Amino acid sequence: MKLTSLLSYFVKAILLGAAVAGLLLLAFPKLRYQSGDYGSEILNSPPISYAAAVRLAGPAVVNIYTRSFQRSLRDGNDTELRPKSLGSGVIMTAKGQILTNYHVIADADQIIVALQDGRILTADLVGVDVPTDLAVLSISADNLPVIPQDQKRTPEVGDVVLAIGNPYNVGQTITQGIISATGRNGLSSMGPDSNGRQDLLQTDAAINSGNSGGALVNTRGELVGINTAAYHLSSNQESYGISFAIPYRLARRIMTELIANGRVSRGYVGVSTVEVDPVTARLLNLGDLSGLVVENLDPNGPGAKAGLARGDVLLMIDDQPLQGVRSVMDRIAESKPGQVVRFTVLREGKRQEIPVTIEEDLRFQHLRQKGSEGESPASAAEKS
Amino acid sequence: MRSTRPVVCALALSLGLVLSPITVQAALPLAVDGQALPSLAPIVAQASPGVVNISVSGKKVTRQAIPEPFRFFFGPNMPNEQVQERPFQALGSGVIVDADKGYVITNHHVIDEADDIMVTLKDGREFKAKLVGDDSQSDIALLQIDGKDLTAIPLANSDALQVGDFAIAIGNPFGLGQTVTSGIISALGRSGLNIENLENFIQTDAAINSGNSGGALLNLKGELIGINTAILGPNGGNIGIGFAIPANMVKNLMEQLVKYGEVRRAILGISGGELTSDLAKTFGYDKQKGAFVNQVMPGSAAEEAGIEAGDIIVSLDGNPVGSFGELRAKIATMGAGKQVKLGLIRDGKERTVTVTLKQADLTEAKASVLHSALDGATLTDSEPGSKPAGVLVKEVAENSPAAAAGLRKGDLILGVNRVRTENLDDLRKALKGKHKLLAINIKRDNSSLYLVLR
Repeated sequence: MKLTSLLSYFVKAILLGAAVAGLLLLAFPKLRYQSGDYGSEILNSPPISYAAAVRLAGPAVVNIYTRSFQRSLRDGNDTELRPKSLGSGVIMTAKGQILTNYHVIADADQIIVALQDGRILTADLVGVDVPTDLAVLSISADNLPVIPQDQKRTPEVGDVVLAIGNPYNVGQTITQGIISATGRNGLSSMGPDSNGRQDLLQTDAAINSGNSGGALVNTRGELVGINTAAYHLSSNQESYGISFAIPYRLARRIMTELIANGRVSRGYVGVSTVEVDPVTARLLNLGDLSGLVVENLDPNGPGAKAGLARGDVLLMIDDQPLQGVRSVMDRIAESKPGQVVRFTVLREGKRQEIPVTIEEDLRFQHLRQKGSEGESPASAAEKS
Repeated sequence: MRSTRPVVCALALSLGLVLSPITVQAALPLAVDGQALPSLAPIVAQASPGVVNISVSGKKVTRQAIPEPFRFFFGPNMPNEQVQERPFQALGSGVIVDADKGYVITNHHVIDEADDIMVTLKDGREFKAKLVGDDSQSDIALLQIDGKDLTAIPLANSDALQVGDFAIAIGNPFGLGQTVTSGIISALGRSGLNIENLENFIQTDAAINSGNSGGALLNLKGELIGINTAILGPNGGNIGIGFAIPANMVKNLMEQLVKYGEVRRAILGISGGELTSDLAKTFGYDKQKGAFVNQVMPGSAAEEAGIEAGDIIVSLDGNPVGSFGELRAKIATMGAGKQVKLGLIRDGKERTVTVTLKQADLTEAKASVLHSALDGATLTDSEPGSKPAGVLVKEVAENSPAAAAGLRKGDLILGVNRVRTENLDDLRKALKGKHKLLAINIKRDNSSLYLVLR
């Protein structure tokens, strides 16, 4: 009895529901097409487009032209300002601070910024950071379009991205692709001991000469990276589908430092290390700890001064276990010069603590010097 | 209470039944969520039969003037130039735009100087195509094939495109066979590239390569938005910078080619240049997109419509004008006699004028446009009223094919192949599509003679 009433209850509801659904579909035939296969859906819907993202981000990407004093063509003794290189830049703040690549403005005596609305302005150089190939410029103008940014969003491999820039000076160009690798945000990225392009964000969006310093944005128009064409241009290979950008968070960090201090200071210890392999780790009885073996020391570096020696196994820094070479490098790079850091090392089977006074990493100073002298026009011309 | 429950249940169920597909569809195409991956296959299936392979063959004529010392050895009877005909073959793509009449659009450079044009459909059928007409300045050619059951690709309104829209390129790169590539629209209204004389390109990062020329650029509805034409690539291959002629320009040119067999170049009668920020400021305009008018020619369409020097042209038929090059390309391809609405900025105020475009009269021409054997000669109509009327040779460059053929400065061209030509327009028509032997009748110092060109 109970079963039949329950059954009839369900049957009634289902029949009535199906009937109402049928009536609704008859009354609003539009609903029917929505349920077709993907193809008819795409053919009948308004076109899918990244136009909204382009509208948000495009105006904030500027064209950069540089000029430098070169010997005059007419009069060999005179010098004149002549066009030098071409690139792009991204307006990061309403105050007119612009991020671009260092190699775009290296050797420049005058930097000219062209906005997409037609305004042409000369820019001041706020600061450069050679290891990350970044530079901050500033322009003074009103109503500047600023690139959308979201510091909390983490880019992932497979995200759709758009590259915005001025390749070969054809005018502002948008190309599309996905993120192929995400890169790193640590301060030791792209330094002399880093593994180069693996620190960078990789994309298959076309990035060419002149795109350097331009924006890589996601489908919301938010900045994901600063494009850099220098890598494949310096290796002189035409690579389609493998392009690089400096990750947004790293770029933002460098920019903040450059605006505050005019330069980025990185901590320096002067040791190079390799990770301890599992067999050695077992032999040394390291347990859960991973270690780094000191391979080489800068004899004048703070590590050597403090008494670190070849063959020492680093176990902890300030009582915190190590998590691979990369993170140790970031930690040291991010320490302030003058700061004392305690290294726990294993030497001849005994643990001991060695305090090291961090110094500033000066290995890029000569590069900056060279840049300001305008030494090598040929190498700069190769890059975008 | 108990009787209302089934009704509520039924309503919920029916709503669920009807609306369930919508929530699923809304996630496409970027998030996939267990559904079939987004694919362009349905669009490609619909449009790809409309894209054809074009193969051409012909003979390229190369001329070499024979140096004086040889003539000294071989005597005055030796011909003063060596003419070589070298056969060539080339590949390209084309788009069927009218299934009933069999019209196929391609690039002029694909079929340039071809004697035979073969069109191969996707289903394998092969047709010999007839050249209806072409325009070298905008790089468009219209062919016709005699086939049944053709699939045409409808033309989209290319003025409605936006940077960031998806684009699909279909063509025959490197002769591999039909190939589909995808990308987005990178920029619009691109001019000043010096690829063609008239430039108003759509730029795309969809891979376009040699052999894609004349092929289709489609939107996601499978409609034609452009004809793929050129790329920028330092080493010859694609680097993500390709250019297509917009569909609206193609539509205008096609109408003229169908009607007259040639393009009746329209002219506005202004000279000018790009609007710089300084010019804009001076003329009280706060944006920097537009074409600046330097000079208005007397008696021109622009003068009749009331356009003045110093005006800034900012729109054409309601669509914004980005640059002078874009305006020039759009006007020149519209066809003479068309009425257009131009938006102007004058004294900081916007106004609209209606212009009836006039036909550009070909009063002086670089002769290479007319015929390759005339390369190096500058031609002009003879003075009005002079008898007999003809085409005056104003200049002949040294060592040029025209000079080698025996043409001299001051010659008056009266006819071609026994067809009387009274002006450049006649000459142009008489020479159209003829790449073989030509006998031109000229008057030189009161004597009449024939020159044979090949």
